[in-house]
Amino acid sequence: MTQKIFKPLIILFCALILYACSGSKEANSIVYGLTLAPSGIDPHLNASAELGIPLSSVYDTLVFQDPASGEFVPGLAERWTISDDALTYTFYLRHDVTFHDGTPFNAEAVIANVEYTTNPDHHSFKAALMLGPLASVDKLDEYSVVFRLDEPYAPLLDALSQVYLGMASPLALETWGPSEYQFHQVGSGPYRFVEYVPNDHLTITRYDDYQWAPSIYDQEKASIDTIVFRFYEDSATRALALESGEVDVIGEVPHLDAARLDSGEDFELHPIAIPGQPLQFMFNTQRAPTDDVRVRQALIAAVDRPEIVATIFGAYSPVANAPLTAVTKGYTADSPFPDYDPERAVDLLDTAGWRDDDGDGIRSREDEPLQIQIVAPSWGLNSEVAQLLRAAWEKVGATVELEIAPGFGPLNEAQAAGEYHLIGINLFDSDPDLLRPFYTSDGFYNWSGFTDAELDGLLTQAAQATLDTELRWGLYAAAATRIRDQALLIPIRDYVNLVVTNNRLQGLHFSAQGWFPLLIDLKLAP
Amino acid sequence: MKRAADLLALSWLVIIVGLAVFAPLIAPANPYHPIAEPLLSPREHFPLGTDGLGFDLWSRLLYGCRISPGASMLAALLTLSLGSLLGFAAAVSGGLIDRLISAVINAALSVPALLLAMLLVAGFGPGLTTVILAIGLGGAPAFARVVRTLSLQLMEKEYVYAAEALGGSRLHIAIRHLLPNAAGHIVSLATTHYAWAFMGVTTLTFLGLAGDPSLPDWGAILNNGRAFLIEAPWLVLAPGLAITLTILAIHRIGASFTEPKLPARIR
Amino acid sequence: MVSFTHRPETSALRTVVRRLLEGLITAWAAVSVTFFALRLAAGDPLSGLLSRGLATRAQIEALRLSLGYDAPLHLQYLRYLAGFIRGDLGVSLYTRRSVSQEILSQLPATLELALAGLLIAVVLGFVLGILSAWKEHHCAGKLSILLTGLATALPVTFTGILALYVLRSGYSYLPEGSVRPIQHLVLPALVLGFATAGGIARVVQAGLRDSMRKPYMLAVQARGIQSGLRYLWHALKPSLPPAISMCALQAAFLLSGTVITETIFARPGLGRLLIDSILDGDFPIAQGIVAVVAIFYTLSHIIADLLSFAIDPRLRRRA
Repeated sequence: MTQKIFKPLIILFCALILYACSGSKEANSIVYGLTLAPSGIDPHLNASAELGIPLSSVYDTLVFQDPASGEFVPGLAERWTISDDALTYTFYLRHDVTFHDGTPFNAEAVIANVEYTTNPDHHSFKAALMLGPLASVDKLDEYSVVFRLDEPYAPLLDALSQVYLGMASPLALETWGPSEYQFHQVGSGPYRFVEYVPNDHLTITRYDDYQWAPSIYDQEKASIDTIVFRFYEDSATRALALESGEVDVIGEVPHLDAARLDSGEDFELHPIAIPGQPLQFMFNTQRAPTDDVRVRQALIAAVDRPEIVATIFGAYSPVANAPLTAVTKGYTADSPFPDYDPERAVDLLDTAGWRDDDGDGIRSREDEPLQIQIVAPSWGLNSEVAQLLRAAWEKVGATVELEIAPGFGPLNEAQAAGEYHLIGINLFDSDPDLLRPFYTSDGFYNWSGFTDAELDGLLTQAAQATLDTELRWGLYAAAATRIRDQALLIPIRDYVNLVVTNNRLQGLHFSAQGWFPLLIDLKLAP
Repeated sequence: MKRAADLLALSWLVIIVGLAVFAPLIAPANPYHPIAEPLLSPREHFPLGTDGLGFDLWSRLLYGCRISPGASMLAALLTLSLGSLLGFAAAVSGGLIDRLISAVINAALSVPALLLAMLLVAGFGPGLTTVILAIGLGGAPAFARVVRTLSLQLMEKEYVYAAEALGGSRLHIAIRHLLPNAAGHIVSLATTHYAWAFMGVTTLTFLGLAGDPSLPDWGAILNNGRAFLIEAPWLVLAPGLAITLTILAIHRIGASFTEPKLPARIR
Repeated sequence: MVSFTHRPETSALRTVVRRLLEGLITAWAAVSVTFFALRLAAGDPLSGLLSRGLATRAQIEALRLSLGYDAPLHLQYLRYLAGFIRGDLGVSLYTRRSVSQEILSQLPATLELALAGLLIAVVLGFVLGILSAWKEHHCAGKLSILLTGLATALPVTFTGILALYVLRSGYSYLPEGSVRPIQHLVLPALVLGFATAGGIARVVQAGLRDSMRKPYMLAVQARGIQSGLRYLWHALKPSLPPAISMCALQAAFLLSGTVITETIFARPGLGRLLIDSILDGDFPIAQGIVAVVAIFYTLSHIIADLLSFAIDPRLRRRA
C-alpha cells in the first residue's frame, strides 16, 4: 500500500530528470564563462574589461600588439609613419578588408569610428579618453588616414591596438545609433557578433571570409564554429560551472578551486598576469590623519602584505610593490614599497603624535582618536583585503570603519562625498600612461587628492615621450619612486587571472592586455 | 517523549541566550581579526577551525548568537506590535476603519512576505537595521490578519455582550476583556512568527543584503562558507546547524503552547 | 477572501468569472503595494546616479523630468499603473534598458524552477501528509512525521548547500552528461520542493486525520470499501480544499525560495537580477520583479480556488 503512494513521487522524479536532460550542446561550439555582466557592451562607449573577452575577436584594430614582445605589428593598417615631432600619424590601410555586413573598410570607415567614439553626446567612458589629445582625423586618400595630435601622445599606438578602438562598420553605427548598436555589433574580426541577451548570454560565430589575420594570431581562420558566453558573477559558482560541464572555460576562478581543478586530469589552469595597476587602496591625503605622510607610512609598515596575499590569493599572485604590476611596461623593481615592520609603524605613529596614553588600546592626539575609514569595492576580493587591513590597523591602535561599495556607482558616490581615508580602485591597461589620471593634480581618478608639480611633470613628460621609450620608462621609474616616498597608496597584489579550461579546449592564449583571449586560435581537442 | 523534546528546545534557547550575553568573555578571539592560518579544520584548531580569512569560526558564531537571534527578535517584536495594533484596531473599530485596514492588509498579503521585505531593503538600502525593519514590516500584514480574526471571534463571546450591556465603551472593553483573553493566542502566534523572522533575517543576510560581509551573523557566515564548500565543509555545517537547531527549538516551544498538556501520571 | 453571504448555488461560469475579477483586483493591489512600499522606503530614486560620474546634476534633472519623477506621487502611481497594463514597467536606472525586457528574459528560468519545485512540493507534501495520518503508528508514518518536521525547520539556505556538497562529492559516480541537468534543475527543484512540502504535508495530515474520524467514513465502510486507495480517496476528498489553498499559500514561500536556490546553484533567473538590483539601488527593476512575482502568486491562489470549487461545489455558493 505504502508503495502505491510512493509511485507518483517516483514517476515525477524520472520525468523531471528526463525533462532536464533535454537540450544538448552542439558539436563544434563551446561555452565561455564571463564573470560580470557589464551595463553596456559597446567597446567604443563602455569601459568594462569583460566586454573585451568576446568582442576582441569581433573587431580588428589598426595595429595589434604582440603579447610577448610588446611590439606593434600591422593590423588593419599595413604600415604607418610617425612625424618627427610625434604629432602626426599616417596609417596606410589594407585594401582587402570587408566588414561582416559587406561594407568595405577604408579611410572613411576609420573616420566614422573616431567620430562615433568622440561624439560627446555618446558619452564614451574609455575609448574617447584613450585617444588623448587627438585633434583631428583626416582622409588622405581612400586607404590612407592621418591622425593629428595637439601634443605628443606616446600611448596612441597602444590605444589603437585595443578593442575599445576596434573598427566597426560605419553602416551599422549609423543605422543603430549609440544605444542600440551594442546589440547589433558589426566588426571585421574572425568572429561575427550574433546576439546579446543582457544578463543571459552573448553569442558569436565564425566569420568564414576572414582573410587578414595579423601576425600575432597563430591561425588564419577560427576553428570553433560558435562560442556562447554566459555570466557567472558569483565566484563560488565558477568552479561549479566547470565541473558540471556548463562551461568549457572560465576566468577569475578562486585560487582554491583553481588549484583543485588543476590537480586533476580533467582541467587545466592558465594563470595570466595582467598589466596595469595592482589591487590597491589609495590614501586620502586631504583628510586627517592620512594627510600626514608619516601616518601613511606607518599604516603601510603595519601591514604584513605577503601574509594577506597568501591568505586571500594563495600562491598565484605576487605581492605588489609598486603602483604598476610587474608585467607592465615601464615597471621598475628599483623602488619597492617597504616591508612589514611593526616596530617602525609604532615609531612613526609615536613621532607623528599619535599615542595611546590612556591605555584603552586606541591611539589619540589632542583628544582625537586615530580613526581610519576604508571604502572597499565589493569585487575582486577587495572587501576581504580590507577586512584584514582593518585587523592589522586595529592591532596598532587605530579604530577602523569599513564600508563596502556594492558597485562602481556607489564607489564613485563614496569618493565624491570624501568620507574615506582609503579607497580601493584600480584599472588595467597595457600602457603605463594609465597612472596619469590617478597621480596628476587634475587627473580624473586622483582620488588621493595629492597635488605635486614634480609628479605632474614626470607623468606628463612620459606621456609625450613618444619616440624615446628609454626616456619614458625612466620617467615612470622616477614617478614610482616619488609615489612610494609619498606613500600615496598601499599596493597589495599583482593581478593574476586564473583561467581554467576543460579537456575539450586547446590553444588558449591571451592578448597583451592579459584579459582578452585570442579566440581565433582556440581548437577543440581531437 | 514530547516533554524531553520541549526540554531540549528550551535548553538550547537558554544556551544561545547565555552564550550571547557572555560572548565577549567566552570568545577566545576577536571575530574580526585573523587568529591563525585560514581554513584550518576543527582538528587543527580547536574547536571549529578557521574560515577563509583566518578568523576563528567559534568566536564568530558566538558573536553571531547576539546578532542573529537578537535581530530576528527585534523584527518579530516589530511585527508583534504593529500587527497586533492593526488587527485589534480593525476588529474593535469595525465599520469603515475595519474595511480600510483590512483592504490594506489584504493588499499587502498579495505579495509574498519575504519578497516584500526584500523590496523594502531595496528602498532603505542594504544594512542590518534595514533588514530588521524590512522583516518586521513584511511579516506584519499576516500577523495583523490573524489577530483581527482572533479578536472578531473573541468579540462574539458572551462576556463581551455582557460588558457592552453594562455600558462599557468599546475601547474599555477591548483593553479589559479582549486583551487578556487574546494574550495567550498572540504569544503562541508570536513564537511561531519569531521562527519565521529568524529564517527571514538569516536568509536576507545570507543573500548579502546586510551590507557588511564581515558581520558575524549566522546567515552571513553560512554564505561566506560557500566558497570553501569542498575544502572546508565545517564552515557551512556549523552555522547551518546552528540556524536549523534554533528554528527547531523555536518551533517546538511554539508548538508546546498549543498542544494540550497531559498530566505526567497518565503517560 | 470569501464572503459569507448565502446565495442559491451559482453556475460554474459565474463562479469562474467572479473569481477572475477578484483576482484582477488582487493583482492591482499587489502592483500598488510594490509601488508604494518602495517609494515610501526609498525617497528619491535618482539620488544614487548623481555621483557616479554618469550624469551631471543638470542631466539628472533632465532624467527626472523625462522619467516623470518630478510629478506628484499619485500621478506617478497612475502613470506606472497605466504603463504596467501596457507592459511597460519603466527603465532600469543603471542600464537604461527596459525593465520588462530584462524580466522577460529571466522569467522562463525562474518559472521553470518554480513549477518543478511546486510539482515536487505538492506530490511530496501529499505523500508525507497521507502517510503521517494514515500510517500514523507504522514506521512509514513516523518517518513521514519526522521528515515533515525537518522540512519546515531546515532552511533552504542550508539544505541547498548540503545538497550541492553531496552532488559535488559524488561527481565521479554519476553517469556522463547527467551532472548538468541534475545540478541545474533537479537538485534545486528538489531542495525547494522539500522545503515547501512541509507546510502542505501538515495541512494534509491534519485534514486527513480529521476526516478519517468523521461519521461518513462509516458509511463508506458500510458500502464495502474497507481500506485501500478508494477508502483513502473518500477520506481525502473533503480535506482537499484547505490543502489546496495551503499549496497556494506555500507558493509564496516557493517563489521567495527561488531567489535562494538560484543563488546557490548558479541558475539564471529573476533571483540574481533581484539581488543585484537591490544592492545597486536599481529600484525600477526590483519593483518590477516583485510585482510580476506577486501576480504569479495571485494566479496560484486563483487556480487553487477554482480547483477547490471544482472539487467541492458547496464552496461555490459562498463565492
